[in-house]
Amino acid sequence: MKMEDMPLSGPDNTRLEALVHDIYSELVEDACLGLCFEVHRAVKQGYFFLDETDQESMKEFEIVDQPGVDIFGQVYNQWKNKECECPNCKRLIAASRFAPHLEKCLGMGRNSSRIANRRLATNNNMSKSESDQEDNDDLNDNDWSYGAEKKAKKRKSDKNQNSPRRPKSLKHKNGELGSSVSSEPYKYNYNTGISYETLGPDEVRSLLTTQCGVISEHTKKMCTRSHRCPQHTDEQRRAVRLFLLGPSAPTLPDADAVVESDSFDIPDGQTLMSRLQWEDSPDISPSDSASSKASTNHSDSRRPKKKKRTSLGLNSGVVGGVVGGGGGVVGGGGGGGGGGGGG
Amino acid sequence: MVQSLFLPLFPSFLFPAIDLLYGGIYCFVCQDYIYDKDMEQIAKEEQRKAWKLQGRAFCFLTENLIQLLKQGIGEKYTTWEPTKRELELLRHNPKRRKITTNCTIGLRGLINLGNTCFMNCIVQALTHTPLLRDFFLSDRHKCEMQSNSCLVCEMSQLFQEFYSGHRSPHIPFRLLHLVWTHARHLAGYEQQDAHEFLIAALDVLHRHCKGDTINDNGKKANNPNHCNCIIDQIFTGGLQSDVTCQVCHGVSTTIDPFWDISLDLPGSSTPFWPLSPGGDGSTVNGESHLSGSTTLTDCLRRFTRPEHLGSSAKIKCGGCHSYQESTKQLTMKKLPIVACFHLKRFEHSAKLRRKITTYVSFPLELDMTPFMASSKESRMNGQYQQTVDVLNNDNKYSLFAVVNHQGTLESGHYTSFIRQHKDQWFKCDDAIITKASIKDVLDSEGYLLFYHKQFLEYEAKGLGTG
Repeated sequence: MKMEDMPLSGPDNTRLEALVHDIYSELVEDACLGLCFEVHRAVKQGYFFLDETDQESMKEFEIVDQPGVDIFGQVYNQWKNKECECPNCKRLIAASRFAPHLEKCLGMGRNSSRIANRRLATNNNMSKSESDQEDNDDLNDNDWSYGAEKKAKKRKSDKNQNSPRRPKSLKHKNGELGSSVSSEPYKYNYNTGISYETLGPDEVRSLLTTQCGVISEHTKKMCTRSHRCPQHTDEQRRAVRLFLLGPSAPTLPDADAVVESDSFDIPDGQTLMSRLQWEDSPDISPSDSASSKASTNHSDSRRPKKKKRTSLGLNSGVVGGVVGGGGGVVGGGGGGGGGGGGG
Repeated sequence: MVQSLFLPLFPSFLFPAIDLLYGGIYCFVCQDYIYDKDMEQIAKEEQRKAWKLQGRAFCFLTENLIQLLKQGIGEKYTTWEPTKRELELLRHNPKRRKITTNCTIGLRGLINLGNTCFMNCIVQALTHTPLLRDFFLSDRHKCEMQSNSCLVCEMSQLFQEFYSGHRSPHIPFRLLHLVWTHARHLAGYEQQDAHEFLIAALDVLHRHCKGDTINDNGKKANNPNHCNCIIDQIFTGGLQSDVTCQVCHGVSTTIDPFWDISLDLPGSSTPFWPLSPGGDGSTVNGESHLSGSTTLTDCLRRFTRPEHLGSSAKIKCGGCHSYQESTKQLTMKKLPIVACFHLKRFEHSAKLRRKITTYVSFPLELDMTPFMASSKESRMNGQYQQTVDVLNNDNKYSLFAVVNHQGTLESGHYTSFIRQHKDQWFKCDDAIITKASIKDVLDSEGYLLFYHKQFLEYEAKGLGTG
């Protein structure tokens, strides 16, 4: 029986199968032909080579999947020195401090207007070089303001008593530093020092860049006054740094730097500070762990997180100065209207 | 093929032959297929006309060939071909970054500028949205803003940075500055909510996209409600709200645009029904029902359930001309190409402020069919058992980004998981990008879930338009 005479369906499905096979083959052939045309055209028109790439480039961009490094094969946390130019003031700012800088630069911060007003007031009485000092001082006000009594008191009266942010954050900062710091931040007491034994090496290093740090024989606590505190000598200050940090201790800022008696130490301290900043945000902020407990108990598991946070914390709230908008924010603007805060 | 035997006898060798399937032109003298510029131009034009006559065509979404949607001009997708000059340049510059499945190009860390992890996560999700990526990498944004404060331009720049091949993390300081400038409510050095940032960013991008919108007549659309910008094309969906009067059963329908769906969770103070597994739709998506954990589908079912508005919330009924009790039901009228689900983990009620950490399991592939307005209509018409049509690909979505929050309501840290190639996932923790497993992604808590439509279609165009 010829193929055409066979029934299409029935017990013997040969013809149907053969037809199906024919159609299938034709479809496959057509698809292949399409591919052939594509390649043929690419070769003829001269762009076939575009699909190739050199071995070197291929290797260069291979994904790395190993512990301790990212997909580029880089070790974590090496980006501390990144800087960027502020679009507003054109200054070079450390990348991880860009947000707080921009806030003040654009005049959006909670204290920006206060700072601006103060600057206007003092500018009338000061010469240019001194007002530049004020400048630096003001811009870093909230981040690492180091309060003298006068300033602390002024801030207290200025700030909104209902703002949930400051007091809580301060409590946390205090909690971190150990119970030895006065829990009443605004009643700054020069006799209250800091117990260096409860601090980690990073915390100590940060502290020493802004404070005298000489350990009192009576109280065994570190002096919290400025580097030019009259009670102690430079010699003593050098000695305590050697003692606490070893031979690699950073040196004190230059003696020629012009500093106001009650203001904060300058550029050197400042750049040192930015180098001590951690790029990444911590996963848990002090508002979780501290809960206003005196944290003399430093368990190891909390250590890493605390390390990350403290440099910020110390900058802002060591001795009763006003705290800047660091991570441990509570309430109000902290998490947005209906959301969760994350940094 | 015509045999060369006939050549000397038959003058038709002077005429080229054409392949009917692909339009390839064969020249008997050259004994090869040739590619003539003018011929190809004509062919292209004819093809284009023929294409426009087709009502609808389905094009599969593959990883490397994403079909671009061109609203208003039904155009067939053609691959890019270099010009002679471009070929020359390319030949002289043989080093190339080829994007293969094992390639880091397209991935880059982001420096935390000071509590900006919430922004970094959203940037990672946006730069890994395939359609958005293709839009920007093919340079489709034509800026009309006078100043250089266009956020869309900055977004474009961001894509350039991500595909530059640089390994060091990018510093998104200009982006931060622009966002603060255009969305004042977000300006300020503090931890913020990623979802809030997403909405604000989409809003600013949408506003700045005005130059790219083209409506049917080829003119620029000035009406913000009928915008056709890339943001709207990708992210905007339509949410249908039906209010049914309990007395006369009249239905009042409104459709509102949305960029995201916010879902209540069990454990919040809002009443959440513990929906039993196995109901319609819940087994479709293959989520794990281990120990009765809530699934994304459960949340969606709850979201689209008919809700009886109590006697204290009577609606003025147009049919009864009086205030009556009613039921309200939400369904999806139109699904966006990218659907973002926001799990409401942060409770800000009068008595309670906390984070809900209930585990919600979410699938890799999601079928939105049961939650569509059209499905609801069929249910109401008596077709209660909704069999899932596996051949209908309209409502199938794939997960491509997950934003997670660790910490408390006030303070914490955001990280994200993003999908780069078909099944490769990466964890983005500010400047650190590492490889992640699918299990890592699906086991994570989930705060913002980004799904991308699997199959894109050209819009149906009637004859005589465009």
